[in-house]
Amino acid sequence: MEGMMNKIFNFFLSFVLTAFFATSTFAATKVVWWMESDATTDPVVQEFFVDAFNAEHDDIELEVVFKEDINDTIRPALLSGSGPDIFDTPGASYIKIYQDAGLVKSLQEYADQFGWQDKLLEWAYNSGVFNGELYSIPKNYETMIYFYNKTLFEENGWSLPNNLEEVEALAAKIKAKGMNPYAYGSTGWQPTHEHLVGNYFNTYAGPDNVYKALIGEKKWTDPEFVESIELLRKHMVDDGYWSGGLETYYSLGWDDFNGEFVNRESAMLMIGTWGFNVTATNFAESSDDWDWAALPILHPQAGDKPNYQLATGGTMSVNAASKNPEAAAKVIDWILSDRARVLNVTGQLGYGAWLMPLHYEDSDFDPNIDPRQKRFLTEFAEATGTGNYGYTTWTFYPNDPGVHIWKDMEVVWAGDITPLEFMEESQRLWDKAREDDALVPVGKR
Amino acid sequence: MPKFLTNINAISWYFLMPVLFIHFFVIAFPSILSLLLCLTDWNGFGKINYVGLENFEELFRDRIFKKAVYHNFIWTIMFLTIPVIVALIIAYLLTGIKRGQLFYRLVYFFPYILASIVNCLIWRYIFHPKHGLGGWFENQGIDFLSKSPFAMKETALYAVAWVDMWHFWGFLVIIYLTGMYQVDESLYEAADIEGATKFQKFRYITIPMIRPIFILSLIIIIIWSVPTFDYVYILTMGGPAYSSEVVANHLYSQAFQRMNVGYASTIGVMMFFYVGIIVGFFALLRRLGWEV
Repeated sequence: MEGMMNKIFNFFLSFVLTAFFATSTFAATKVVWWMESDATTDPVVQEFFVDAFNAEHDDIELEVVFKEDINDTIRPALLSGSGPDIFDTPGASYIKIYQDAGLVKSLQEYADQFGWQDKLLEWAYNSGVFNGELYSIPKNYETMIYFYNKTLFEENGWSLPNNLEEVEALAAKIKAKGMNPYAYGSTGWQPTHEHLVGNYFNTYAGPDNVYKALIGEKKWTDPEFVESIELLRKHMVDDGYWSGGLETYYSLGWDDFNGEFVNRESAMLMIGTWGFNVTATNFAESSDDWDWAALPILHPQAGDKPNYQLATGGTMSVNAASKNPEAAAKVIDWILSDRARVLNVTGQLGYGAWLMPLHYEDSDFDPNIDPRQKRFLTEFAEATGTGNYGYTTWTFYPNDPGVHIWKDMEVVWAGDITPLEFMEESQRLWDKAREDDALVPVGKR
Repeated sequence: MPKFLTNINAISWYFLMPVLFIHFFVIAFPSILSLLLCLTDWNGFGKINYVGLENFEELFRDRIFKKAVYHNFIWTIMFLTIPVIVALIIAYLLTGIKRGQLFYRLVYFFPYILASIVNCLIWRYIFHPKHGLGGWFENQGIDFLSKSPFAMKETALYAVAWVDMWHFWGFLVIIYLTGMYQVDESLYEAADIEGATKFQKFRYITIPMIRPIFILSLIIIIIWSVPTFDYVYILTMGGPAYSSEVVANHLYSQAFQRMNVGYASTIGVMMFFYVGIIVGFFALLRRLGWEV
């Protein structure tokens, strides 16, 4: 009887151990990714990244959790040593803080292993390098351009401006027709102001000067920056370029100003490249045609050719507490390795999201791509590849000076402080950020 | 079983303990932590450096903080007057209505149960320069509300306060009405015999009799005015040019946008002391024999 019991016990034990080791050995490693939620983007990402990845892999199971306000939810998760394997952040300034706190894992060994430096555009790769090691990869790149109502321009014989004089002359002609030069507004997103500040810094003061100020070789209080802000103040307050005046600009939201643009209330829309999708969609229902152009240079010190400001719209990083960093790196590499798949995803999203900064080739593009969109992608790559680029505040500014730009610009517009006082405060915050080692990486120019 | 566990007088304490326990971890512990953080330059993530009273020195130099404190003061004064006066009058008038009173109460109270985002969106549309009242007046050839009051620095704070007061005053109506129903009916009957007018009854019977609940409402308003945040954040984010910035808004910006958590804690500590002083003041009045 005892022998029988032993046999049963041994059999049971062997069964349990075999089952345990089998599941341990063959179970897929789960990688969890917390991603910023967006109603349009989420289903596309789920189908073309998550489901496609899982269909191709038996050893790794990818699960994406779409989160509202990822920045607010990731913070307590990281601080408590939990959270996902991969997570999104709004930009490099956040990565700097996470890296200082040891909350984000260095990806350098995986970057070397998988050759990520060759896969990403140089500036985009450098934007995630802190103290010589890679910590984040941009999910999306963008720049500031302007869209214009092509039909309206042709009807009136207007041509695209190339310098400040031409900009002001064109604005006068547009206003004489009872329209606003530009549509834009800040309701619902106060940081909209920083788009305009960045535009004036890069087209008036010029990217070389901005670069020098970013790395501390120039002062933000130097005349070219102060004059940039003064010019922006004049165009916004005195001339009412944006939607007819400051108060209207403050009152209009995304739908309002896009509607204003397509309804011919404004002739142009100075916005980031995330505006491609909505512009194309809105004009599809209009009899008017649209096109885009790079921002005109407003002062010779900014160079003789239009520049494209570099910007990353969100990044991905690996949690320092991740138990599966290698699997997480494989997921990232899988995405980086297929340019056509990335272009397919971003194309479905109107190139407003998931436009990863990769070395795209002509053969990667869908033959049905809108030629205006394709022109942007190729021109941007060519221009930035030859060093003809500028800097956005939301990618290259540390938090405190970055918030100052959009919060306090309103104070300049209100006439409560002068442009010089505004830039003095900017310099003070930059000095403090530099002293606190809170600067974000700026690749060598 | 130990005697203290079966002591009938201690049972209430046992039932109160879970809530006390939760409050300790959710409120008291973070508050104490905040008291400590205000002496540091913590950015919310990394190393915490002790900086002594540096944050307090910075705070007293901070022009935005001073502006925000002033705005909170204006906000409190507005809430202590406009909705209180309107609610008192409406509640008193409602006590004279027998039929349909419930309807009025529901209508007045309705904005209070709406989420702040809903209230804000309604008023943002009403004041929209193109699609709101401004656009309608423009079509009639009248230049009125052509600019949103949320977008002008002269009016932004008052416009936001207006929306919040619109949502809040119905709540005051309900609590004043409840107080008025507690007043002994015989006092009004005696006043009627003496030939008192409606205003005299309101002034000499209603107001003194509802004083405890009235004072309570004032305390609530003063205390709730300190951390006011959501309406400002949704409608103006403190702009334009900080013209509607309030203290809680400034704290949020410092903690979550500028990542100056140590400094934000200093602002929080100041708010805590301010509320403490208010509560202490009313506690003192109570000790002096006031019916507070």
